[in-house]
Amino acid sequence: MRPETLILILGMALVTFLPRFFPMAFLNRRVLPEKVKKGLEYFPISILSAIVFPMLFSNGGGKIEIQPQYLIAAIPVFLFAWKVKSLWGSVILGMVLYWGLGFVL
Amino acid sequence: MDNHQFRAGVKAALPIVLGYIPVGMAFGVLARQAGLTPIEVGLMSLLVYAGASQFLAIEMILKGMAWSPIIFATFFINLRHSLMSSTLSLYFNRNRLRTLGLLSAELTDESFAVAMSNTSKIENRPVYLFGLQITSHVAWITGSVAGALFGGLIDHKSYGIPFALPALFICLLLIQIKKIHHLLIMVIAGISSLFFKWALPGNWYIVLTALLASGIGMAIETKLFPSPSMGEGKGGGGK
Repeated sequence: MRPETLILILGMALVTFLPRFFPMAFLNRRVLPEKVKKGLEYFPISILSAIVFPMLFSNGGGKIEIQPQYLIAAIPVFLFAWKVKSLWGSVILGMVLYWGLGFVL
Repeated sequence: MDNHQFRAGVKAALPIVLGYIPVGMAFGVLARQAGLTPIEVGLMSLLVYAGASQFLAIEMILKGMAWSPIIFATFFINLRHSLMSSTLSLYFNRNRLRTLGLLSAELTDESFAVAMSNTSKIENRPVYLFGLQITSHVAWITGSVAGALFGGLIDHKSYGIPFALPALFICLLLIQIKKIHHLLIMVIAGISSLFFKWALPGNWYIVLTALLASGIGMAIETKLFPSPSMGEGKGGGGK
């Protein structure tokens, strides 16, 4: 293995590990103020929204641009997932719709 | 080791596996084109284990960039995991540092989101979370090494594969909506993520959206439900 590739991989591993590790290791819920704890409970919904919405409404460069194949496949998945909170069902339904739309769009 | 919990974690990871294997393969193929050997590909997927930054690293290598700017970019892309790590810290307070070290090294967007879909399963249950995470990680390594060795065995742009992880995220997002004001938070976060993504480079939009939207969520909740030990009962105030 070339040394510069090894340095690259180890460096990437280190800078990826640190932000993953420090909060979990050193934030302690018994010490955290109630408000902060409440705020932390909103991270999942906020992060997931920040992952899902740009996928549907933004191109790779950040410009607002509807992604038709994603958006049209997403709407039934939204409704399905809302009614039936099934991960597998949503994934399979989404894949079939997206695949089918590929022939139409 | 608690076998039952571990197995439950493995099972919970299976939808992630379905997404990680083809995306990992695509990564392996691309990394080979950038001149990485299959062993280097496997080592990167083993030690770094962060899809977006691995793809970016390959793009930067293809552009002939050196290791230092790539590592710098990796840090900023993966800074968002500190938010997820902070949230997970709420559920693990009776575990040893080395357990936390292992769990946090295995943290990804997908495994975090699946873990958060049922927090009663993870509360001080590192074995469940580890089963979920290690299964996802094995899928990622397997996919990327297979892609590096054999090329794209399946066309990762076909059969609806690009939509596997998006559909998973959509369902996981809706699982998070448990009260009516969560819908409002979702819309606020969605719009602000589009704005931040448009306004700022890299993926600062995830970090800023999380801080803004959860601040608003916290403020709304403190106003609406002042008592911390609020029951789940419907009715009460309102119309």
